[in-house]
Amino acid sequence: MVYIASWDEFVDRSVQLFRADPESTRYVMKYRHCDGKLVLKVTDNKECLKFKTDQAQEAKKMEKLNNIFFTLMARGPDVDLSEVTGKEQMETQPVKKGRGRKQ
Amino acid sequence: LKESFGTKGRFVFDLRRLLLTEELFPPAGGAFLEVERSYGRIQVSLSLVLLQLDPFLNELTSMFEKSKEKGSVWVTLKRSSLKSKVQKRKLSSVGESIEYRCLIRATDGKKTVSTSVGAKDHQRFQASYATILKAHMTALKKRERKDRKKSTEAEKKEGSSTTKSKKL
Repeated sequence: MVYIASWDEFVDRSVQLFRADPESTRYVMKYRHCDGKLVLKVTDNKECLKFKTDQAQEAKKMEKLNNIFFTLMARGPDVDLSEVTGKEQMETQPVKKGRGRKQ
Repeated sequence: LKESFGTKGRFVFDLRRLLLTEELFPPAGGAFLEVERSYGRIQVSLSLVLLQLDPFLNELTSMFEKSKEKGSVWVTLKRSSLKSKVQKRKLSSVGESIEYRCLIRATDGKKTVSTSVGAKDHQRFQASYATILKAHMTALKKRERKDRKKSTEAEKKEGSSTTKSKKL
């Protein structure tokens, strides 16, 4: 099958695929504890990208990808992804410290 | 529905086409249509369990726990508005924007559960989801430097430190 070796390439191409066809692109994750394997698939039913791993480290990277897809899918494909990391900063901003006069 | 009642085979096929368009995942994901006919009534039930966020997360957790010895857990993410083509056309003709949600499905091969997450709740969900994954994906290998693969027992006893190298 179409397994991509580089994580970054997988991410870039997946996001591209989604943006090109947000209606039919889906992201599938399969985890087998007994084999210790994780497989990721992104497809628009025409093209298919897959990534396979048994490394815990890649699972951490996958978390970021999950966040990216959640954002893209819930908010829309035109979302600026720098927001995904920038969002966390934005959330902390509204927490304004009260003026020092506590009496 | 009443019109198609007479033609058994066609009814199933047409309804299946209607429901298995872009809105839902292909049958391999676990959703299928059951049509029962009994004494002149047609009962249609779609085996797609749509849950609220927290029950879904609980089900996902139990799936991971059940699949420890054998089996897989599949999670699928897809954008969807959960509306049929007809509804979509109506909305766009009125000038309303179609609200999209992220449809999440989880299956262990036997049972399928799903939930849908909107722009407002997706961050809370993704945090809980990440926690569940981290807690259960423990069978994956940790990265270890195996430079000295052919090391003898003696070398190991010297206390070779296994430093985790993080690729950034």
